[in-house]
Amino acid sequence: MSEDTLFLIYELIDVIISGLTNGSVYALMAVGLTLVYGVTKAFNFAYGSFFNLGGYLAWLMIPVVGAVGGYVSIFIAVIPIMFIVGYGLEKSLVAPLRKRPEWEMKVMMMTLGLALFMDNLYAVVFGGRVKSLPPILEGTLDVGDLVFSYQDIMIFFLSIGGILLFGWILNNTRIGMAVQAVAQNPEGAKIVGIPEKRIFAATFAISTAMVGFGGILLSQKYFISPMSGGAIMVKSWVITAFGGMGSIRGGLYAAFIIGMLEAFVGYTLGMSYSMIALFILLLTTLALRPQGLMGRA
Amino acid sequence: MLTVTDLNAYYGQAQVLKQVSITADAGQVVVILGPNGHGKSTLLKSICGLVERVVGAVIYQGENILGQPTDRIVNQGLIYIAENRELFPHMTVLENLKLGAYAKSARAHEKRNLEMVFDLFPRLADRRNQLSSTMSGGEARMLAVARGLMSNAELLCVDEPSLGLQPSLRFEIFSIIQKINKQGKTVLLVEQNIPQITELADRIYVIEEGRISFEGSKEEALSNEHLKEIFLGM
Repeated sequence: MSEDTLFLIYELIDVIISGLTNGSVYALMAVGLTLVYGVTKAFNFAYGSFFNLGGYLAWLMIPVVGAVGGYVSIFIAVIPIMFIVGYGLEKSLVAPLRKRPEWEMKVMMMTLGLALFMDNLYAVVFGGRVKSLPPILEGTLDVGDLVFSYQDIMIFFLSIGGILLFGWILNNTRIGMAVQAVAQNPEGAKIVGIPEKRIFAATFAISTAMVGFGGILLSQKYFISPMSGGAIMVKSWVITAFGGMGSIRGGLYAAFIIGMLEAFVGYTLGMSYSMIALFILLLTTLALRPQGLMGRA
Repeated sequence: MLTVTDLNAYYGQAQVLKQVSITADAGQVVVILGPNGHGKSTLLKSICGLVERVVGAVIYQGENILGQPTDRIVNQGLIYIAENRELFPHMTVLENLKLGAYAKSARAHEKRNLEMVFDLFPRLADRRNQLSSTMSGGEARMLAVARGLMSNAELLCVDEPSLGLQPSLRFEIFSIIQKINKQGKTVLLVEQNIPQITELADRIYVIEEGRISFEGSKEEALSNEHLKEIFLGM
């Protein structure tokens, strides 16, 4: 094999790894968003801002716990905080709207407002300058001439671990089954005595914790800035719509497809084209298959 | 066991129940008859906390439970078994049954109740791993009743269990309800116009246009010309 082809192969492997790494975090986030939509039928447009909240909270903790090895304490501290924030926000802001006519639209507007509020609050508190998190693990794994960074490996496996844990909770715990029951038949869930309101809040909280976790993971590779949540929100929604609203499996597939697409478009045409490619994919899907990849028509 | 006094229920502007009062003693089968859309289901749903706007009193075991959320009502031993079944379609029979025991008061009895339910409905035991959405109408109805039993409730509010079933299955479900009653459960049963159920009834109420238009024993119901003609199909 000539030097050039070998070089190309290495480059391609790099692109695939980047696609897998981003895809895994997207999957984590898409699953959280799909869950909220599937169970509570509420659109959460502040999702990207919660992603940044995870990143900022982790950034605040870096000096306290020290970077390397300190991530364990960051996860232990930040994820419960995200959960509590999510639970509190659902109870205080989303639940009161639910009683009103056309509440879906009101929740959409409210979360959009919340996103603006949070993004501007970040600008005031943290300033406009970008922040970044140190890699969770330094160094590289060398396999022959191939070089994998431990950071990518960790991000990939932690995301997958998060998704598996989430799936396990959903299928093997009483609360997980209750969440599914509410998604499948809210009236039936109420009849058997599942406290619907608490399940709504818990679902919102779980998804907030998941996107916060995603925020900690991805903010090691990309910068956090007050407004960067916007792109994350758009991406999460594109993945959710592409995968099929409310379908967790669809969201998983869509996340990896979009992670890969982004990586390849970024490599061949440049990063600035990736959003365009995303929307072309979404529009084509919606034109040909309006319910998304795995959505129920 | 249950005393409902002057119940008024509303859906939006429409008043569905008007000054409805009924009682059920422990161990009884109380049957509520009436034409479609006259408020029978609403009465059961109001008792179980499933209707938004209800005024009046629902005294269960000496406590007014009106206005309490459904999960608390279920926890106290009342369960609504829906006419349209309200199962969880993408879950198996077993998962549906286990969710029937979600209430705190039911958890400790889950295993025993599961055995009891499989005993009553052997077909559900055979199909425990089948998705509930793939079951026939009759089996789904059985599952709805079985799921209700899993709540360990003392008072079952059963809404038109025979709806859409062929006569042989109707007979089966009524005999199962009778069995459940013999085991000590109190049953509040809503039906449209099925003669067989008068057999089961300790007391019969008729609801017409949201009001109680008849109240009495099954003998009294059977000797009432108006009822015989209209609701008992005789």
